[in-house]
Amino acid sequence: MASSLFWYVREFFRAEWIRKFLFARTAPLVTPPHFRGFPEPTGRTCQHALFCMMACPAPGAIEVVHAGDGWMPKIHKGHCIRCGLCVEACPNGVLKSGRILETMEREGTSLIFSFRIAIDLELCTGCGNCCTACPVNKEADAQMGAGGHSSNDEVIMRVQDGDIVVIHEDKCTGCKTCEASCPNGAIRIARILEGSQEPVPEGVQ
Amino acid sequence: MSLLQRIKNKVRARSIHVAYVDVGSCNGCDIEVLACLAPRYDIEQYGIYVHNNPREADVLLVIGAYTPGWEEKLAMVWEKIPSPKAAIAIGNCPISGCLFNRRETFIDPPVRKHIPIAAEVPGCPPRPTEILQAILSVRDSVFFNWEAEHP
Ligand code: SF4
Ligand code: SF4
Ligand code: SF4
Repeated sequence: MASSLFWYVREFFRAEWIRKFLFARTAPLVTPPHFRGFPEPTGRTCQHALFCMMACPAPGAIEVVHAGDGWMPKIHKGHCIRCGLCVEACPNGVLKSGRILETMEREGTSLIFSFRIAIDLELCTGCGNCCTACPVNKEADAQMGAGGHSSNDEVIMRVQDGDIVVIHEDKCTGCKTCEASCPNGAIRIARILEGSQEPVPEGVQ
Repeated sequence: MSLLQRIKNKVRARSIHVAYVDVGSCNGCDIEVLACLAPRYDIEQYGIYVHNNPREADVLLVIGAYTPGWEEKLAMVWEKIPSPKAAIAIGNCPISGCLFNRRETFIDPPVRKHIPIAAEVPGCPPRPTEILQAILSVRDSVFFNWEAEHP
């Protein structure tokens, strides 16, 4: 009994144990660098392609703002969900996050954008606000008047006989200016993002 | 600093009791708070204990985008916590409504409109390390010397 007590106490009061009991700490609070954080600038010049804003799924997470002479994407913490789509979408590699850029390069992946314009004709009054607001229309037909009428066939959409007609859906750049200008919320832009991957060359894994 | 205050500071730094309340989240952030309790992050080694009883709590973790069902109820939970106390917003939802903040949704963020928030942890969801860091920073800034600063 006495000897077992002795052994017990000796085991229990080992210096190693006492040190661990008092000072033990599991893994420190660090985030490994390969974790996806909030996107950060790589230092490349932003060309104002706005692909990041189109790809971003979180409302209000990213804005491309004036920075010095040029442009720069600005990430809003509290809105950004760290999905990394803006990093993948940027054609100029302006943003980085975790090892997304390295993975894209290694695997040969990229994102392809297209847009669908959906107009609810029940809600649409044919006012033409969207046609005049659209920056692509402005480029195609600078003469387009307030009613959204146009004789130019190059515009994305125009008002014909009081109804809105979409002619060139493929030209839409997904800026959603029209959505903001519609008084009835009749126009919606759907963004379609396709991931593509180059075929892996023969012999490589 | 009085001896009593010193003892209180010492004890409080190792005994923070946390309650968490989900005011309409997708459960992502709840899972990350849960991960803080698991052995990998082991929240108790920092002297933080999870009780889920506001009357015992020092820190309230608010998760979610504030759905209509929580009007008045969240303030009630907050008032039940004895001072000193602090509320921390976990995730994007209580800060901005995150992905749910769109047209025709019923949420009412930010939560800081409804109760005072001491710290916000952005992320969808934030990492357990970030949640732990926020609790530890609130501990140091809110609870240290509380009696001396609120006579
Ligand atoms: S990481 Fe995702 S959520 Fe954040 S800004 Fe980029 S695209 Fe938006
Ligand atoms: S989203 Fe922009 S580019 Fe596309 S139709 Fe609307 S205004 Fe024009
Ligand atoms: S911040 Fe993201 S993960 Fe957390 S509750 Fe909101 S949607 Fe879910």
